[in-house]
Amino acid sequence: MTRPAMTGQERTAWLFTGPVLAIILAVLVLPVTLALALSLTDYSIYALADWDNVKFVGLGNFAELLRTALFWRALANTALFAVLGVPMAIGASLGAALLLHDATVRWKPLWRVALFVPYVTSVVATAVVWRFLLNTRFGLINYALGWLGLPPADWLGDPHASIPAILLFVTWKIFGYNMIVFTAALSAVPQDLMEAARLDGASRWGRFRHVTLPAIGPTLLLASVMSVAGFLQIFAEPYVMTLGGPAQSTVTVLYFMFDEGFKWWNLGQASAVAMILFVLILAITFVETRIGKRNAWL
Amino acid sequence: MGDRGRRQDGVTRRSVLAGAAALAASSCGPRSASPPLRFWATSYEGDYAPHLMPAFTAATGIKVDVQSVPSTATHEKMLTAFAGGALPDVFVLPSGWIGEFAMIGALAPVPALDYVEDIVPSALALAQIEGKNFAVPWSAAPQVQFYRRDLLRDAGYDTPADTWTAWREMGRAIKHRRPDEFVFLTLLNWPDTLFSMLYQTGMTMLRERDTRGNFRSPEAEFAFAFYLSLFTEKLAPRALSTEVQDAFAAFAQGRYAVWPSWPSLLLDLHRRRAEIPRERWGVARLAGPNGFGPAAMIASNVAVSARTTQPESAWALVRHLTSTATELRFQQLIGNLPARETAWTLPQLQVPMLRPFAEQMRQPAMAPKIVEWERIQIEVQLVAEHVVRGLLTIPQALATIDERIDQILAKRRALVEAGRIT
Repeated sequence: MTRPAMTGQERTAWLFTGPVLAIILAVLVLPVTLALALSLTDYSIYALADWDNVKFVGLGNFAELLRTALFWRALANTALFAVLGVPMAIGASLGAALLLHDATVRWKPLWRVALFVPYVTSVVATAVVWRFLLNTRFGLINYALGWLGLPPADWLGDPHASIPAILLFVTWKIFGYNMIVFTAALSAVPQDLMEAARLDGASRWGRFRHVTLPAIGPTLLLASVMSVAGFLQIFAEPYVMTLGGPAQSTVTVLYFMFDEGFKWWNLGQASAVAMILFVLILAITFVETRIGKRNAWL
Repeated sequence: MGDRGRRQDGVTRRSVLAGAAALAASSCGPRSASPPLRFWATSYEGDYAPHLMPAFTAATGIKVDVQSVPSTATHEKMLTAFAGGALPDVFVLPSGWIGEFAMIGALAPVPALDYVEDIVPSALALAQIEGKNFAVPWSAAPQVQFYRRDLLRDAGYDTPADTWTAWREMGRAIKHRRPDEFVFLTLLNWPDTLFSMLYQTGMTMLRERDTRGNFRSPEAEFAFAFYLSLFTEKLAPRALSTEVQDAFAAFAQGRYAVWPSWPSLLLDLHRRRAEIPRERWGVARLAGPNGFGPAAMIASNVAVSARTTQPESAWALVRHLTSTATELRFQQLIGNLPARETAWTLPQLQVPMLRPFAEQMRQPAMAPKIVEWERIQIEVQLVAEHVVRGLLTIPQALATIDERIDQILAKRRALVEAGRIT
């Protein structure tokens, strides 16, 4: 049985896709496979001393993780970040984009730049500034609360306030990006439909719900997929602002992985965490695209 | 990888130099092309180490490239550097990490005994691993307390009390006069104060050849209860270091009267003397349950990488850095306390302010020398934070600690049982 020889067209196709496929293989498939392999071993600092200290443990790392209270804590914290953070960030982006889209707003480019700037500033620099803003005793935010007659909050010191405090910062930091994306999407909303709806007496909310929203649906889906993935991988903000504290209330899955893997060199365990996170993000994205399909956005 | 890259680099540079020499047809021979020695140190030691190098370069002709590594990321940076074959030729290690880095084969053994002659015995004891020397002690940093003379005097104390109960009583007296401020500056992610208290009770923290936690003991309960009382009485703040952005300023402004800290604070006190004049602060040994006792001690040690390509130059640098003269110079520069016994007999160190350090250095707490110790300390402090925040009771906390330690030491236990390590 011989296979038919490749046609010239097929050869050309392989020639063009080959380099990209090779790169994907080298920088994506290979590392992921190796991480998967690593997650089935008990690779630890002892392995640096002697490779014979590495054992194949099957799903042992995963079983161990499920027994670790801090891992569950990290999962819960991450879920809280995502559940609160995604609506906050997308809401802020969409709100700002709608405001800026209004015909009566002047100096639009200036506003866009001003609102986009936090996104392109360094996380660490802005986190340091926000730590000052959130300071219990001298912070501007508590000063403002005092002005409104509210008691000061111990933002970064109270395990219940620490996640909201970080979310305030994260939302401020990232909403500019999606705002720009939404601005682009809004300018593509058909004006004739909008006019027709207005003539038919649709309210402001009715026009938003039935004209704007369907038109920007695909963009909204994309933004939420990216935001969910981003929030599930949140790391730098708690690392810089709270070091995971107070009382481990801001330890996220990625933070946990970083500690296990790079601080304590339990790379087997850390790879298992990475695998779980990978599967989680994949599953959530899958659900999101199903929702998108049902709404005929894709 | 890195080593190979460097070597090729050297070859290229040498051939280029040789080529240039041939082209110019000059009579001078090619210059030595060995790359500079790389040296890493942490925080102030790293920042000020370049001042120690000109003398070395002048004497030996060897150039040294100093890099200061931030203290919060030193451990992971060094481990990653080792795994990636990028450790510098010479680096500074706290004594608690020597066992770990020796175990993974990162350290070259000290080649001759005279490197560690005339070292303060406690510093040498902390540095040795099963009687072997993998690093040369450079400085010793026992934990002591810095106190505000003025605030203590207002409360009727000349010096801090030396027993726990009296120390806390003193705290109450200060708090009584200044109810809005705290007394003890010990933050919830700084494990050393709690560990000094634990050591002072004389407890044994691990059992079964250091493979299991041993915190469910009356001694640990006693120390935890005392530690907790400082927070419940609001003598110490329920805060992390991320919340107290400038601890020094807080101390200088009198928001704390007592700061259990390290000799490295001496440099801050010198550099920021405009904020707090010399006569307002003093140094004393930490209080113990029944008077002065052992306290946590960090000793800096200079080690040479097992993979260095220039061992002779590297050991020459170690000898230079750990000489009495260099250590005295560093003491002047940053307040580092020399590890050489001879240095302590000289007038420079015979000042009253250094006496508490000198005394405490003779009585260090000996931490278990196991790879996981650094992590265990952090875990214990995390659980202690939960206790202070009222999320766990002390008996629950001690049981949690033992459980966590057993989990962390699972791999070590398996290896010890298999006879692969001791």
